[in-house]
Amino acid sequence: MTQVRLNSVRKQFGNFVAIENLDLDISSGELVALLGPSGCGKTTTLRMISGLERPSNGAILFNGKDVSEQAVQDRNVGMVFQRYALFPHMTVEKNVAFGPSVRGESKAEIARRLDEILEVVQLTPFRTRFPAQLSGGQMQRVAVARTLITKPSILMMDEPLANLDTKLRVEMRRFIRDLQQRLGITTIFVTHDQIEAMELADRVAVIFDGHLAQYDTPERIYRYPRSLDVADFMGATNIYPGKVLSRNRVSTALGEIDCLHQDDRSVGESVQVLLRAEALDMSTGPFTSEGSGMRGRIKARDFFGASVTYRVACNDQEIDVTENARRMRDVGDDVHLQIAPEQVWLLSG
Amino acid sequence: MTARERRTRILQMLQLLPILSVLVILFGGALVMALLQSLGFAPWFGINTFPDFSHFGSLWGSQTFWVSLWLTLYYATVSTLLALVFGTILALALIKAFPGKWLYKYLYKLPLMIPYTVGIALAVIMLSSGGVLSRIVAFAGLIDDPGQFPQILKTHYGWGIIAVYVWKQTPFITLAVYAVLLGIGRETEEAAAILGARRGAIFFRVTLPQILPGIVSSTLICFAFNVGAFEAPFILGGGFPDTLPVVAWRYFNDADYTLQLQGMATVVSIGIVAGVILFAYLWVYRRYERRMGRH
Repeated sequence: MTQVRLNSVRKQFGNFVAIENLDLDISSGELVALLGPSGCGKTTTLRMISGLERPSNGAILFNGKDVSEQAVQDRNVGMVFQRYALFPHMTVEKNVAFGPSVRGESKAEIARRLDEILEVVQLTPFRTRFPAQLSGGQMQRVAVARTLITKPSILMMDEPLANLDTKLRVEMRRFIRDLQQRLGITTIFVTHDQIEAMELADRVAVIFDGHLAQYDTPERIYRYPRSLDVADFMGATNIYPGKVLSRNRVSTALGEIDCLHQDDRSVGESVQVLLRAEALDMSTGPFTSEGSGMRGRIKARDFFGASVTYRVACNDQEIDVTENARRMRDVGDDVHLQIAPEQVWLLSG
Repeated sequence: MTARERRTRILQMLQLLPILSVLVILFGGALVMALLQSLGFAPWFGINTFPDFSHFGSLWGSQTFWVSLWLTLYYATVSTLLALVFGTILALALIKAFPGKWLYKYLYKLPLMIPYTVGIALAVIMLSSGGVLSRIVAFAGLIDDPGQFPQILKTHYGWGIIAVYVWKQTPFITLAVYAVLLGIGRETEEAAAILGARRGAIFFRVTLPQILPGIVSSTLICFAFNVGAFEAPFILGGGFPDTLPVVAWRYFNDADYTLQLQGMATVVSIGIVAGVILFAYLWVYRRYERRMGRH
């Protein structure tokens, strides 16, 4: 069990600063996602933790011990590359046995662990195949097995689900989650896909331009983003400028909306109001209760199978509302929109 | 076969015609002529004793032929191996980022653009007794007189020949291996390092097997050239017994034109030896490839 800590880590390539003063704490056994747009420095962070890159400043600690200067071979970490980086000239079993073999394990021990790990990743029937003869999902499982056989203290993955098709994604997601929970291994993965981050991670570190924007549970990052950038990256569409009217009411171009009691906001303060599309209740009847009620008309409809997203015109504004697809409404319908106060989130600015 | 398929087939043949005619007429024809002449067929000299194996007999029966063959293979093999080692190291270095890399990437290719004869002239200027190197060493006081400088050129060790070949072929091998290295990327090496492999294990178990196709094709070309090349051993070699291409050249230039047939027998011998070695090399490599699961 390994706990990882990054202490104001900075990485510079020439004149380009990839990571600026990053502090990150990862508990042992935790599954953490580094999330951000491409070029934000998340892969560089992963490479620094693995030892493939050395930080320009700051320290990386495993269980409180500074490993910043330790060679990659001595860190006992595991990495699953985005394109798997399997050795194309080796069979599945040679690929998987590579780690213990270069570490000088005995032949009998390697054979025993090889059988065991191939069983875990369900690749026993494919052990004599070459990487070119495998599917994407199988290649990824080989990469995972090749890493796990070395019993790494930290498992790292670069975009683990990016190269897989939808069905395989679900399968691999469960596989990674199960494995991680069974082994209790500290796991860090990089992704640019917020869905992937939320699907897998215990905690998500959102990184923009080399800075840590927010580090929290997926639910909190999704519901309570700390900045507009994070909200935007997490797919929020309904963000409106507003003014605080009282401790629990804001005014926006949509109308006045009730929110939870705001201790740290003063009356008259300018805010951004975030209304999650799926948190809005839409009805065609009269208002059912007191609260934030808005009147609107459906302008467009996007059908996603399980859910439908409507674009509703409301007080010269547009607002997205996502509903379960069990019931379909038509373009042109007049609707009422309501939102519970605890679903309203205020951002500064 | 439908009319349409026939038309495409004919079109394909027409497109292949230029290269086929060059191969069949120029190369194949010359090969057949050389073989015929070496077996005594040369009516234009008034000789026609075909089939006559005496030219091969007298060639292979003489001791100097075997010395010549040994020298030919020795120069070719040593220079190919040295160029391979230097070229691979250079290619591995060029993959990494270092200051001034762009300049290096131009500089190392320079010998590729300079003809062999110029390289030979440079070797004479630099390495001969009385050459630049000997004068520098004498100036530095390591020897009293440039004449005391150890003889590098015109010995049967062939240091001059080897130097010119290595100088010219290192960039060629670098180019080939560098291109392959760029293609395979750094990821498998990084994966190996994370799995605990040290530098040596990474090179021999991960990198080398992947660059082997580039190594085989480039060393094949260099070796074939080195076996057949004639200028460098002619100018920089140790004299009698010469390498086989020089021996052939001497026969062709002899006042006794009937010795041309002996020359042809020499040329055919070079062809046989080179062919056998190259095919054996490819056969071993193919076996290795098959063992690695490549087909």
